Amino acid sequence: MESKYAVNIQGDVAKIELSGRLDAVNAPAFQEELKKLSGPVLKQVVFFAKDLEYISSAGLRAIIFAKQKVGSASQVYLVGANEAVLGVIKMSGLDNFMHIQDTYSE
Amino acid sequence: MPKLTLAAKLENLNSMIKFILDEAATLGFDEKNKFQVRLAAEEVLVNIINYAYPKETGDIQITVNSKEKDSLEIEIADWGFAFDPLSREDPKVCVPLEERKIGGLGIFLTRKVMDDVRYRRDNDRNIMTLIKKLP
Repeated sequence: MESKYAVNIQGDVAKIELSGRLDAVNAPAFQEELKKLSGPVLKQVVFFAKDLEYISSAGLRAIIFAKQKVGSASQVYLVGANEAVLGVIKMSGLDNFMHIQDTYSE
Repeated sequence: MPKLTLAAKLENLNSMIKFILDEAATLGFDEKNKFQVRLAAEEVLVNIINYAYPKETGDIQITVNSKEKDSLEIEIADWGFAFDPLSREDPKVCVPLEERKIGGLGIFLTRKVMDDVRYRRDNDRNIMTLIKKLP
């Protein structure tokens, strides 16, 4: 699967679609896309991870970077991540700072 | 023993990982175990690519040994400056994200998903050994 990342901001909600691999090769492009989060005040940042096959520390760092950018007032969600990806998230303790959900409704 | 030597560059990362995963596949590793081998391999390789050769580019040599049949042994060597990544303190994964120090996470994950991770300095080489047993 092709690795793609797209940030889509609607009002005070940022939706981020993740697919393929979020690794050291792809993280710089993802990081670049995440710069879009620095403008508006965001209440929610939602990562849609159903099509995310793999994540390494480079991908995790980009997510940490996003969280640091939006500040503690925004809620971060991780939606639909597969078991292996979720395993990495939990090992790193990132599950303490994100709402892990199977589905997302507005 | 299958061996691969390539320049320590990010553009070679996928070829190096594929070389390791092909060997894991011959041992019958399932998707979950292959994911974990990929993760550990990437973290160790990227550390070398980013830090081992600050001045000029050097090589990475990967040797994969599966003669045990029930475990995969990956040896990753470089000729960069002496550095033991296992000597670093683990990151504090309970600290709030806003205060999290970036770094150390890759090696932390590597140790979590492998059965054994070792470092040795052999003459002018750093050698990391990663061992993953078949479940």
